[in-house]
Amino acid sequence: MEEKPKPPISGIIYGEAAYWIVLAGMVIAIAGSVIYLSGTGYVGKQCILNEMWEGSDVSTIWEECAGKEVPHGHWYINRLSYGDGIAMAGIALGCLAAVVGMWGAFVGMIREKGGIYVAFSLIVAIILTLSAAGIIQLKH
Amino acid sequence: MVYSKLRLGKIGKYIAMSLMMLLLFSGQVLAAEVDSTMGMTPEVFFAVFLVITIVIGIVAVLGGVGGGVVFTPLMMGFTPIDSYIIRATGLFVAMAGALVAARPFLRRGLANVRLLFFAAVPYALFAVIGALLAGYVQETMGEVGEYYIKLSLGVLVIGIALLILFGGKRVEYPEVKNVDSFSERMGLAMAYWEESLGRVVDYKVTKAPIGILLFCGVGLISGMFGLGAGWAMVPVFNLVMLAPLKVSAACSKVLIGIGDTAAIWPYIMGGGIFPLFAVPCMIGLIIGTIIGAKIMLRVKAGFIRYLIIAIMFGSGIKLIQTGLSGLGYL
Repeated sequence: MEEKPKPPISGIIYGEAAYWIVLAGMVIAIAGSVIYLSGTGYVGKQCILNEMWEGSDVSTIWEECAGKEVPHGHWYINRLSYGDGIAMAGIALGCLAAVVGMWGAFVGMIREKGGIYVAFSLIVAIILTLSAAGIIQLKH
Repeated sequence: MVYSKLRLGKIGKYIAMSLMMLLLFSGQVLAAEVDSTMGMTPEVFFAVFLVITIVIGIVAVLGGVGGGVVFTPLMMGFTPIDSYIIRATGLFVAMAGALVAARPFLRRGLANVRLLFFAAVPYALFAVIGALLAGYVQETMGEVGEYYIKLSLGVLVIGIALLILFGGKRVEYPEVKNVDSFSERMGLAMAYWEESLGRVVDYKVTKAPIGILLFCGVGLISGMFGLGAGWAMVPVFNLVMLAPLKVSAACSKVLIGIGDTAAIWPYIMGGGIFPLFAVPCMIGLIIGTIIGAKIMLRVKAGFIRYLIIAIMFGSGIKLIQTGLSGLGYL
């Protein structure tokens, strides 16, 4: 009988890291949403609903419901005492899953001596990190 | 048996046509009631969108497409919610679903990591550019930009529906006669254990340069319109680069998680994600996908394909109509 090929370690590291982090993010996001729906939040929930359903754009929603301009950053980090802050932190954690996974895959690629693919995984990890850090964004 | 299959096909087409009419009609109703939230409290809104996205998830899996590609056009066509918020949420739900689904493909070695990282560079880069472009249009063009986005997405969604309808057969194990020198140097060939055959499948991949160009385009569209891009990636892997179908589907799923992560952050920084909308849609689509996958094992759901095509045509027509009306052409 033929031997099953071993899956590359870089892929396994990426898959495991991404899976567990996104799962943790989802649980936190759900818990935050429950708190948000059963109490008040940093951004008024009824106000968001009204503005969203009127087709208001993002700037208007932030101005009307949070009394602030679009935050252009990780606003939830300082708002973890609010349900929506926790939910948003969970969403952000979920969105970090592939970033962490990709750095893990990069290390795995080095161990596998993946040649050009070490560079590819590094480039993707850097793109994801710059994006997550908010360095790649539009500000007006 | 053949007769019943034909009947089922016909019934599917009728259901699809009726649904399309219903969708177009309901769009008018919703548009007329935009002024109020129809008495919805945030809790009811959460529950309603949870149920809607569960249904979308089930139908999408049975129709063989990702939830994101149905979610975004449907929400943009038939709800008054700003397209930037919908696109951000569409990307988020597609990304979350793809990250959860990626693990088994990587553990079993079905997803070719070399092919993945090779495609991830152009795809992630252009997905970010697409997301930035979406933010730029939103900031500088305001309502006119919104209508142009809806119009373009409408055309794109109809194109995707036509691709699903007439896109030709995918090939389980494409025969690779010649491997170009660039693909050869990249060493994209790999092997995986095929459970159904009980043996190792060795495969080669070709036309890598064309693949790079196509992944640039797919990334741009995905980031700009907030769509999962499995509908485009599977044909690129399978029909252009000639990877086996299972490998193509696995790579596409993993790649959506990487590319959409790159594209989602500019939307988050732009304040486009609201947990009140994003969380029920995420839970709903994932639950729907799980239920859909279980149903798929038990029923022949060929007719659902027509339903998906109808939903996409309905959404596309509605988006084009909204775009043209907003721009003063209708």
